Amino acid sequence: MIPAVAHIGDAAPRRRAGARSVARRTADAIAGAVGEVLENDRLASLPGLMQRLDPRMKAVSIVLLAVVTSFVHSIPMLLVLVVATMLLAAASHVSVGSFARKVWASAGFFGVLLSAPAATAWITPGPVVVALGPLSITAPGLLVAGRLILRVAAGAGFGLLVVWTTRWSDLLRALGAMGVPDLVVATLAMTQKQIMSLLRTVENMHLARESRMLSAGSARENRGWVVERMAFVARRSMKTADDVYDAMLARGFTGAMPSLVDLRASDRDWLWLAATVVACTFVLLIDRMVFPL
Amino acid sequence: MYGSDMCALDRIDLTIEPGEHVAVVGANGSGKSTLLKMLDGLVFCSSGAIAAFGHTLTEDSLEEPALRREFRSRVGFVFQDADVQLFCNTVLDELAFGPLQLGMEPDEVRARVAEVAAALRIEKLLDRAPYTLSGGEKKRVAIASVLTMRPQVLLLDEPTNALDPRSQVWLLDVLREWKAAGRTVIIATHDLTAAAESCERMVVLSEEHRVVADGAPEDVLSQRALLLSVNLIHEHEHRHGGIGHTHDHAHGHTHG
Repeated sequence: MIPAVAHIGDAAPRRRAGARSVARRTADAIAGAVGEVLENDRLASLPGLMQRLDPRMKAVSIVLLAVVTSFVHSIPMLLVLVVATMLLAAASHVSVGSFARKVWASAGFFGVLLSAPAATAWITPGPVVVALGPLSITAPGLLVAGRLILRVAAGAGFGLLVVWTTRWSDLLRALGAMGVPDLVVATLAMTQKQIMSLLRTVENMHLARESRMLSAGSARENRGWVVERMAFVARRSMKTADDVYDAMLARGFTGAMPSLVDLRASDRDWLWLAATVVACTFVLLIDRMVFPL
Repeated sequence: MYGSDMCALDRIDLTIEPGEHVAVVGANGSGKSTLLKMLDGLVFCSSGAIAAFGHTLTEDSLEEPALRREFRSRVGFVFQDADVQLFCNTVLDELAFGPLQLGMEPDEVRARVAEVAAALRIEKLLDRAPYTLSGGEKKRVAIASVLTMRPQVLLLDEPTNALDPRSQVWLLDVLREWKAAGRTVIIATHDLTAAAESCERMVVLSEEHRVVADGAPEDVLSQRALLLSVNLIHEHEHRHGGIGHTHDHAHGHTHG
């Protein structure tokens, strides 16, 4: 005889039409985040221009470009830098469309958010271009705002190029080679790995809940559940940290994280660095001489 | 003890000789993993003593660099959860971690990594990040990361857990090779098939955290009442057509 607890219910699960539960949205978001990390790894393994560079040289040259970007004033030269990020993306087998979308999603949002007040007559007086009631947008204000948005776009583009064309492990090695302490590099490495592991745990928890839910649940119930799970994940991450430390001790951990991989810069890497320095110099010279303030 | 009053292991008296293959079997929570951690000098007993290679293992004695180095180079521990054990950026770094910590020269470490990677058929994974591997691949890498240290004693916690059938067969073959090579192996498991196939001695832990049997696998597995009492097998009732019958059912993967 089948015990009562094993009987299959007659009622079909009912869900509000069109409603996506918090569990489903969270699980989808987590799956998206995990997928993005794996996609980054795939991009970083392609045989493109940026991927072939020594990660230290790449990091130094990109920092240099980002610093120069912050000194450039003219809109045409900032546009040149934005276009340069896209050309570099294309030369690195990165889809220019998705690169531009990613850059402009952040640059557009944060740039507009930061520069909007500067476009008004209150902050930047001048000839009014658009008047929206008490709010007046001035021509010099628009210039300031445009400059800020383009700077953010170029800077974000250079940063994204490093992240998308360098494997996380190489980036960490580059940090180590550039003098960042072993302990910091090891902590960063383990943090990323544990985040991936915990993301999968959280995704499974949400899916397990969804599989037993007949409705999306009230917002209050969902909030309570999310808080409980956060506490669970926090406890679990602390236990995992202890276990990982035990695993390190078991293999003789002495406090250092030496690696077999030797980073060696080739002639191509030095050439790239030299070309970057020359390009940065030209950009600054043209900005100052052709487009003086 | 766990905390102040929870006993993890009680009155354990165990001697393991070099070259022995020992399976520590018991139900979940019987203390198998704790016993392995004690044997690896990761947790310590609140009363009594553990000795290995002529040294008493204590927190203080393992703080001494020479003893720690000697002990860690001779004992390898494969954790139950491979995700815990794989903490480096790449599989290559993972395999090199132990030997580099022991102060070996990079060229020698490279040779060892290449040898072990070839033996475990994971050469193609060397450049990958551990979190991108499948469960079976992670287990192989976890085992490889210990083998590069060439330990004399291998401790394996639930080695067949989360392995597909092909990987389980592979692991049992590896254990047989280690036996032929004279390595000491101590496995904690509730998989009686794997324990019986890979070990010549079986130590049974009860749910009260005590050793209740210690002998050859065939002798231990023939004690039905004992196995029932320690929750390693249970009576299983089912029907074939119109005929119902009861037989024993082991944890793990056996029907016997």
